[in-house]
Amino acid sequence: MSSLSALGQRLLQLIPVLIGISLVSFLLVQLSPGDPVRLLLGDRATAEAVAHLREQYGLNQPLIAQYFSYLSNVLHGDLGHSIRYQMPVGSLILDFVPPTLFLIAYVVAISVPATVVLAIVSARCRDRWPDHLIRALAILGMTIPVFWLALMMSRFFGVELGWFPVSGYGKGFLEHLHHLFLPAISTATWLVPLLLRNLRAALINETESDYVTASRSKGLGEGYIFRRHVLVNSVLPTLNLLGVMIAFLIGSSIVVEIIYAVPGLGTLMVGAVLGRDYNVIQGLTLFYALASVIVTLTIDILSTTIDPRVKL
Amino acid sequence: MISLSSASARRHFGPGAIEIAAGTAIILTWVVLAVAAPLFSGADPNGIDLIGLLQPPSADHFFGTDHLGRDVFSRVLHAARIDIWMGIAGVIPPLLIGATIGLISGYAGGVIDAVMMRMVDITVAFPFFVLVIAIVGMLGPGLYNYFVALALVGWVSYARLVRAEVLVLKNREFVTAAQALGYGPIVVMVRHILPNTFSSLLVFATTDAVLVLLAGASLGFLGLGVQPPTPEWGAMIADGQPYVVDAWWICFFPGLAATTLGFGFILTSDGLSRVLGR
Amino acid sequence: MHWHRNAAAGIAMTLALLTAPAAASAENLIRVGSPYPTSTLDPMRSSSAGNIEVFGQLYSRLLRRGADGALEPGLAESWGVSADGTVVTLKLRDAKFSDGSPITGADVVFSLLRVRDDKESAYSAPLQQLKDARAEGDKTVVLTLKHPFAPFLGNLEVFNAGIVSKADVEKRGKDAFTKEPVTSGPYIVSEWRPNDRLILKPNANYWRTGFPKNDGAELIEIADANTRVSMMLSGELDATRDVPWSRVSEVQSREGLTLPLEPSTVIYMTLLNETKPPFDDIKVRQAAAYALDVPAITKAMTLGHAKPATTTLPGALDYHASDYPGIPYDPAKAKAMLAESSYKGEELVLLANATGDNDKLSVLIQAQWAAVGIKSRVEKLDRGAWWERIAAGDYHAAPSWWYNETLDPDLAVRWALCGSCGTKSFYTGYNNKKVDELTETAAGELDPSKRAELYRQIQQITTEEVSQIPLYYAPYANAYSERVKGLGMNPMLQWSLEETVFTGE
Repeated sequence: MSSLSALGQRLLQLIPVLIGISLVSFLLVQLSPGDPVRLLLGDRATAEAVAHLREQYGLNQPLIAQYFSYLSNVLHGDLGHSIRYQMPVGSLILDFVPPTLFLIAYVVAISVPATVVLAIVSARCRDRWPDHLIRALAILGMTIPVFWLALMMSRFFGVELGWFPVSGYGKGFLEHLHHLFLPAISTATWLVPLLLRNLRAALINETESDYVTASRSKGLGEGYIFRRHVLVNSVLPTLNLLGVMIAFLIGSSIVVEIIYAVPGLGTLMVGAVLGRDYNVIQGLTLFYALASVIVTLTIDILSTTIDPRVKL
Repeated sequence: MISLSSASARRHFGPGAIEIAAGTAIILTWVVLAVAAPLFSGADPNGIDLIGLLQPPSADHFFGTDHLGRDVFSRVLHAARIDIWMGIAGVIPPLLIGATIGLISGYAGGVIDAVMMRMVDITVAFPFFVLVIAIVGMLGPGLYNYFVALALVGWVSYARLVRAEVLVLKNREFVTAAQALGYGPIVVMVRHILPNTFSSLLVFATTDAVLVLLAGASLGFLGLGVQPPTPEWGAMIADGQPYVVDAWWICFFPGLAATTLGFGFILTSDGLSRVLGR
Repeated sequence: MHWHRNAAAGIAMTLALLTAPAAASAENLIRVGSPYPTSTLDPMRSSSAGNIEVFGQLYSRLLRRGADGALEPGLAESWGVSADGTVVTLKLRDAKFSDGSPITGADVVFSLLRVRDDKESAYSAPLQQLKDARAEGDKTVVLTLKHPFAPFLGNLEVFNAGIVSKADVEKRGKDAFTKEPVTSGPYIVSEWRPNDRLILKPNANYWRTGFPKNDGAELIEIADANTRVSMMLSGELDATRDVPWSRVSEVQSREGLTLPLEPSTVIYMTLLNETKPPFDDIKVRQAAAYALDVPAITKAMTLGHAKPATTTLPGALDYHASDYPGIPYDPAKAKAMLAESSYKGEELVLLANATGDNDKLSVLIQAQWAAVGIKSRVEKLDRGAWWERIAAGDYHAAPSWWYNETLDPDLAVRWALCGSCGTKSFYTGYNNKKVDELTETAAGELDPSKRAELYRQIQQITTEEVSQIPLYYAPYANAYSERVKGLGMNPMLQWSLEETVFTGE
C-alpha cells in the first residue's frame, strides 16, 4: 500500500469520526442541564419569553429531529447560528483560532528544542549532577499548579517588573510574541518535563538495548550510535506524546487563556459552555476533532519519515 | 523480561532502590498523615472562626487560617485523604483501559487498529470541560462523577503511548522469534510485548497522577469537582487565589502539599523504571 | 536529522501564517474590564448585567438620570402628567439617530411597544401598565396608562426603554442589532467581537452636544477577577468591574488607582424554597434567619466593605426602611423555634452557583445553621444548571444576589416579593395576598409619603415572614485609573462613559 493511498484512506476514515463526534457532542450538550435561552434573556425574563424563544430556535423539537437538521446543515458546510450572539458559528470560531494556534506553536517552538537538549544531556550524563538537576527541575515544573504559577508570573513579570503584558494578544507578530510569552512559558513549564521524562526514559532504554550493545561490539563510535540508532528509535513515543499533547492543548488551553485573558478558543469554549450556546459548543468540538486528526496525521507521517518500519 | 537478559545483567539496583524508598516514603508519609489526620491536628478542618480570619502561621495555627478562619494545617492534612485517592483512582482505570486498547490496536493492526484509533480521535477531540459538565449534570456533582469523566477521556494518552511502543516492538527479533515458535497473539502480546511497555506506562502514569490532581483544581473555575466545604488541595488553591497577596499561606501550603506528593509519585516511578530494567 | 529541519520549517511556516494582519486601532480608547459578557446589542432582548451596561451607551432613553440620581430630560425635553395620573405627554427634542435620520414620535412608540409586546422581549414588566402609546406629529408622544402608576416616569429610564430606529429595525430585522446597529446614544459600535470585546466610538449625531468627551471605549470581557486586578495594576485597563473584596485595600493603596466603592442596588440574600418542606413552614424560615449572624457574615464575606441587610429590599432603593432593625442573631431562639416546627433534622440542599462568592457564602450559612441543628449539604453548580434547578423549585435554599435596574422599588417588589407577579417571588414560591395587594396599591399611590408607608409595610411583612433571608448590601467595587477623569457607575449599572475625559498617561 503506497503511503499516498494510506493517506487517502485515513482521510476517508475521518468522515465516520466526525459524524460520531457530532452525535456524541450533540447528545452531551443537549442532555446536560441548563437552558441557553434563560441565560440569554437574563434572570428576570418571564416564562413566556423563554418558552417563545425556545420554540423559535427549535429547541422544543424532539432531539432526533434537531440532530438530523443539524447534521444536514453541517454536511452543507453550515455550522448554524450561535444562540447567544445570532451570528454564524463558523466565523465566530475562526475569530478565536489565531491566538490559540499561535500560542500552541509558540509553546511547541519553546518546548521541543528544550526537551531534546535537556533529555540528551540528562541521558548522557546519567546519574551525574546535570542529570539530577534536570530531573529535579522537571519534577518541580510538573508539580507546580499551572494557575498558581501563571498568577505568580503575571504578578512578578507583568505587574512588578513590567516586562510583559499580563493579558491579551496584541497586534502583529512581534506583539503576539510579547503578549503570549508568559502564557507560553507557563504552559511549557509543565509540557517540557512531561516530554523530557518520556524521551529520557526512551533514550536510556535504547542505549541499553541489545542492538546498541551489538553496534558497540562492532566498534561503532558512541556518538554515531547515539545519533543513528538511539535517538531515532527514542523519539517515536515522545513524538506521539507530543501529538497527544498538542491536540490536548487545542481544546484545553483554557486555564492559561483565562488567567492571561487571551481571546482564544479556550475562552470561547468556556463562554459557550457556561452560556449553553449549543451550536458553538458543537462547532468547536468538530473543529477540535479536525485539528486533532490533522495533528495525529502529521505526527504519523513524521513517524514514518523517521522510522520507515512504522506504517501509516 | 526475557528479551532483555543481557541488559538485566548490567542492572544497577542501588540508585533505583534508593529512589523507590524515598518516593514511597513520601507517599506513605502522606498516607499516614491523611489517615491519622485528626491525631496530628486537633482543629476541625471545617471549623469556621469568623473572628480569626486570615491569620498568618503561628504556634496555634501552623499554616495560618483561611478566609473563613479555618485551620489551614488541618485542612491540608484532611485534604490528603481525597487527593491521594484522586491520584490513584483517577489514573488506574484510564491506564487499564488505555493500555489494553493500545496493545490490541498496535498488535492487530488493520481494521481493528483503524477503528480503535478513530475512537481515540473522537475522544481526543472532546473538550474535557464539556464532558465533565455533561456528566456532572447528568449524574450530579461530586468526586466520583469526576472520576467517570476522567476515565472516559484519560485512556487515550495510554492507548496512544502503548500503541506507539507496540508498533516498534512488534518488529523486534524477540517478537518475531516468539511468533515463529508458534505462540498465539495473546501470549505474544501479554508476555512479550506488554512488559516492555511498562516503563513508559509507569513514567507516564505517575506523571498523569500529578496532572489529574491539578486538573481537579482547574475545574474550580467552573465550580465542578469536589463540593465545598470538603477540603481538597486544588479547591483550596482556587479559593485562596484572591488572597495570594495578603494571605499567601492559604494557597501556598496546599500547593506545597501537592508538590511533595507529586514528587513522591514521580520519584517512585523513576526508581521503578530503573529496577524494571530501563 | 532531517526531521529536525522539517519540524523547524513547519513551525516557522505556521508562525508566519498566523501573523494576522494588524487591525486598525483607534488611539486613547478607554479600556474597561468586566466579567459580564455582552451577548446582544438589542435592548429588548436581555436583562443580564453585561448587556445592561452596554445598552445605556448605545440607546438614549426619554429620560435620563443626573449625577445625583434625579430624573432629567433625555430624548424628551419636557413632559407633563395629567391630573389623574394616567396620561403622560412628552415633547421630544430635535435629535438624530447615528445614521443621521431624525428621532421621531413613531420611533419612540415603536421602541416602547416592542418592549411591552414583542414575544422575544425579555423583560416587559417596566411597561406593563402602558395601555396605549401614540405619536402626535413628529415631536410629541402621548402615553396612556391603565391606571395611575407612580413609578412610570422612572421606568422610562430603565435599560430596555432605549429608543431604536423603527425604519432600520423594520428593514433589517435581526441584523439591525448584529451588524452596526443604528444608535441614539453617545456611542456607535466600532467593532463587536462576541465573547471578547465591544469597541465603541463616538456617535457624531448624539443629541448632547460636546459628548462623549473621549475617542471611544473598549469594553473587554475578562472572566477571572485576579486577572482584571493584575491588568489594572499593570496599566492594561483604565477601569474594571468587581474587584474581589480581598484586593480592595491593595488597589486603593496603589498610586494612580482609585476604588470608591460606589452605592449599588445589589442585595445578597438566601432564597428559601417555600413550595416544599421544611421552608414552607414559617417557623423553620424564621429559625433559619435567627440562626444567622448577619453582621459577622457580612464582615467575613466582604472584609467590612458592605453593610448588613435589614430588609428584603436593596438598601439603595427609594423608600428603603432604613430604620427597620431587621432580624437579630439569636441562636437560642432559633433552636426553640425549630423545636416547635415541622423540621425533623433532614439534610437540606444549599444550592450555590459557581459565580462570585456564593459557594463561600453557602459554607458560612451551612456552618451557622448546623450550630442550631439545621443540617445541610452544599451543592455547587454552574449558573446554567443552577437556574434550571431554581426555576424548577428543585432546592431548599440558595444563597445568591440580585439588583434592581431602577431606584423605584416597584419592579424590585414585583420580582422578588410578589407571588402573583409572574416570577413567583424569585422562584421561592413566597405568596402573601396582602403583599400582592400592597404592591398594586403602592404603585398606584402618587403621594410619596404614603408610598413610603406602604413599602415599609411590604418590607416589614416579607422580612418578618422571611420570604428570603436578607444578608448584605454590597457596593460596586469598581477600580479606576487616574488616566480617566469622570468615570463612574450609578446604582443602575450605567457607566458615565460619555462624561469621561481620557487624560493619557
